[in-house]
Amino acid sequence: MQPRRILAVNLANLIGRASRLLEKGGGTTLPGRVALKIMPDLPERLVDELEGGCVLVTGTNGKTTTSNLIADILRRSGFKPVHNRHGANLIYGVTSALARDCGPSARLRGDIALFEVDEATLPEMGRRLRPRLIVITNLFRDQLDRYGELESLAERINAGLRMLEEGDLLLNADDPLVATLGEGTTLRVSYFGMEDGGVGSDATAMQHAADSKFCRYCGEPLEFKRVFYGHMGVYGCLRCGRSRPAVDFPALALSLRGVEGSELLVGGWNGGLSLRTRLPGLYNAYNVLAAAAAARLLGLEADKVTEGVEGYSTVFGRAEWIEAEGRRVLLILSKNPAGFNEVIRTVTEDAESGKTLLLALNDLTADGRDVSWIWDVDFEELVPFSREVIISGTRAEDMALRMKYAGLPEEKMRLESDPKRAFLAAVRSAPPGGAIYALTTYTATLALRKALAELGYVRGYWEE
Amino acid sequence: MGRMVLRICHLYPELMNIYGDRGNIIALKRRCEWRGIEAEISLLSLEDKPDPRLYDLFFIGGGQDREQEMVCHDLQKVKGEALREAHAAGACFLAICGGYQLLGHYFRTWKGEVLPGIGIFDAWTVGGETRFIGNVVAEWEDGGGRRTLVGFENHSGRTRLGPHSRPLARVKVGHGNNGEDGWEGCRCGNAFGTYLHGSLLPKNPWLADEIIRLALSRRYGEVELEHLDDSLEERAHAAAVRRAAGKRGG
Repeated sequence: MQPRRILAVNLANLIGRASRLLEKGGGTTLPGRVALKIMPDLPERLVDELEGGCVLVTGTNGKTTTSNLIADILRRSGFKPVHNRHGANLIYGVTSALARDCGPSARLRGDIALFEVDEATLPEMGRRLRPRLIVITNLFRDQLDRYGELESLAERINAGLRMLEEGDLLLNADDPLVATLGEGTTLRVSYFGMEDGGVGSDATAMQHAADSKFCRYCGEPLEFKRVFYGHMGVYGCLRCGRSRPAVDFPALALSLRGVEGSELLVGGWNGGLSLRTRLPGLYNAYNVLAAAAAARLLGLEADKVTEGVEGYSTVFGRAEWIEAEGRRVLLILSKNPAGFNEVIRTVTEDAESGKTLLLALNDLTADGRDVSWIWDVDFEELVPFSREVIISGTRAEDMALRMKYAGLPEEKMRLESDPKRAFLAAVRSAPPGGAIYALTTYTATLALRKALAELGYVRGYWEE
Repeated sequence: MGRMVLRICHLYPELMNIYGDRGNIIALKRRCEWRGIEAEISLLSLEDKPDPRLYDLFFIGGGQDREQEMVCHDLQKVKGEALREAHAAGACFLAICGGYQLLGHYFRTWKGEVLPGIGIFDAWTVGGETRFIGNVVAEWEDGGGRRTLVGFENHSGRTRLGPHSRPLARVKVGHGNNGEDGWEGCRCGNAFGTYLHGSLLPKNPWLADEIIRLALSRRYGEVELEHLDDSLEERAHAAAVRRAAGKRGG
């Protein structure tokens, strides 16, 4: 009998249920906070009992989508993953998710743990959960008020990884900073990356949001032969000779079909693995590639990967189509310069002008309180495609100003700080049968999703 | 007189741009264009030597530690002399955060390492143990009526001003130069230094115009800038003030 553990788990779940009943949002953090107070080593105790061990996914962009893809592939392979599907990815959120998957006797109803974790929390999670596989998608500037500078974040992650004794580490070869994170560890490192020669452009097209442009070893500017997006590319250092590592899991061919999704051929399997995804954009192709590579390292079957990827439907707001009043609404979480630029590129790919856009910028702690980053996003690219831009969020005025300086005439923008009113304005702006593109920061996505639930267009995410 | 041209030199654009500081360049460019003034922007990075007589306005933003070291080195070896010469001849400067620090006398890090500056500002900076992070509201002290500056600071350096500098503004919310004397920013001749990101100029359009006016006057004498409709800028400014007030103590 473990009375302390039973108390921790059941009290956490009681609080979680109460907060869902009261519709205080998803109740994803408080239960874990309480459980850890009662039993500080609860997560590692629970995870230790799982036969399938633990998988962690981290990175600035794509960790939620990548881990959700892996979860779906695991389920189709007959596993029961214990997973923080809604992306509460600090220690409290992970603990809440663990408690929620426990029965009354405080044992996990599952056989493998799969968590997306905040990049700054990775060292602590690694130490606690001793994962069999860690996946790192990319590292971009994001919420500098919270994470600090990129280089020091990489150093913390690196130090955390060096503390681990065994397991697989799956890294993005195209991100010059991420590619170095296996250095000095005893983990088995493998890489995924883009190998389709038709993707990307030459280095002259590098965006303002590109971050890791210098050799991490000698400080020399890296030579980029190709740039895929942000600082993802094929690169090398002319001074010390370091270059992009050999790729174990390449995307051999990629065809992007705008907001409709993409098709890719992934190497690392005999004859390659052909995948089709409804997730839009190059950044999502990377997520699919990472998930497929992770599945390979976990020993899962190719046909389960295909099914998992094709059958994948997204969770709230990370590229999700919904219907409202005869309009198609695409909700895309857009939370930092690199991510936002990719979303803009995807949304403008079909070259249809006259789009109705809804932009919402919040500055709560989870978004980052500093909104300066919007000046690093190439909103200029969005202007020629805009019919009307409805602007919302706690910093709507900053966003409106950004659009003004991007060249959008003021008569084409409309400020509605309330999410519900903003959404209804977007519905009025788009013609019947037309599309609305909602690009929103993290808490603004939650607020919009809540407004849509109240208007009856979607269910609350806590009901999923 | 023909069309006026404002010649801007954007220093280390790819190295010193960590918190959207290029928004300042966007603001300067647009506010010139809207008035029929041509803004010519030259990007100068490592190893490029500026012609001190060519530019009316130099801009430098903030950077990460490693980038800042590279820039420090380049300022000492390649650009420092020319920039000091331009400053002495009346060229305008706007330097944000890390750029502000490197244009002072020196930056001594928390670990005791010293990065020499180029002394355009009579100011020096010492690294602190904690970072000052948050919204800032400050009251302008540099003449021209009572105005406020809004922005977002994120720095560990504590900057002190020498007798040849004067502070730009008195901090109402936030920390400013060092969190102790209540001052934010610095002015030496036509050089402005500040910790404020945000970006600074779009939300403080009167400062953008003051800088444009000063920079143009070098080549064209006293110029009167055409009035622009800044109602959206003023709304964003007011919203930032409200947001900062709401966060106070929280």
